[in-house]
Amino acid sequence: MVEAKSVEARSNRQYFTSYEETGELRSSAGESSRERSLVERLKAGDTDAFDAIFHQNVNQVYRRALRLLGNEADAEDVVQEVFLTVHKKAKTFRGAAEFSTWLYRLTVNAALGKLRRQKRSKEVLYDDYLPKFQKDGHHLVRPVVDWSDKVDDRSDQRELQRLLGQALEQLKPMDKAVVVLSDLEGYLDREIGKTLGLSVAAVKTRLHRSRLFLRGKLAVHLGYSPA
Amino acid sequence: MAKQTRSKRAGTCKQATSLITDYLTGTLDPEITNELEHHLGVCPDCVAFLKTYKKTIQVTQSLLLSGNLPELERSKQKALHKSIGSHNERG
Repeated sequence: MVEAKSVEARSNRQYFTSYEETGELRSSAGESSRERSLVERLKAGDTDAFDAIFHQNVNQVYRRALRLLGNEADAEDVVQEVFLTVHKKAKTFRGAAEFSTWLYRLTVNAALGKLRRQKRSKEVLYDDYLPKFQKDGHHLVRPVVDWSDKVDDRSDQRELQRLLGQALEQLKPMDKAVVVLSDLEGYLDREIGKTLGLSVAAVKTRLHRSRLFLRGKLAVHLGYSPA
Repeated sequence: MAKQTRSKRAGTCKQATSLITDYLTGTLDPEITNELEHHLGVCPDCVAFLKTYKKTIQVTQSLLLSGNLPELERSKQKALHKSIGSHNERG
């Protein structure tokens, strides 16, 4: 079952929004007996149960897809793909407690497939926006400027958001998925790895590199070196 | 000898930067955390870097959350539901 990043919530990652705040993820403990019963009926081929599950989950699937894809038409395609799969493969569920996790994986993987097809012409080189270091390991450009306060002070918040939105779109599809699932939805690295078929180390590497890229984009926009 | 081990893990800015993600998630080994915090105590460049890294995460989160994502319109829900139903009948 998917777990929240409880360690982070208790530590110095207080700036993260926990999954409870997003209100979209459910734990197995949160699945009601009615939901479990619905899933059992679905597995038995009950079309009314499918309809109920569709209506209960359609917006969650849609929003998750929209967040990953940024495009309503593509998100609708994902909804269709996900629920077609739910209908066709319902009998493969191992138990009701896995349903929300299964639905989550179907959604992420369907969205990721779409992202992969979308992205090829948009990708940029990360290296131009990553920090650089001297041979002795010190930052190449010194002093490193703390521009964090300048982000809040700026009057052009919309411009800043637009820039960051573009930068997110420039991430490789897998990287964007990792950023959204980690920083927004609060999934653990190992759960993200399972869903996306990555090792935990690979999830961490992609997350760190993506954040460095986004940081570099912000730095350049604010007039500073990404290094 | 211990000093050499320390310098291999969090002694330079490059090493410190590579540890930020685990540091922020609280999943860094306590000993390495101490080493990193020691580095941060003497390196204003890495402190500035860490602050801007954290700010980037905050801004990214607020962007992703700010969209106030809509629900799928009822009419589209119905159309999709119908479409899935017809697919299933054919399948």
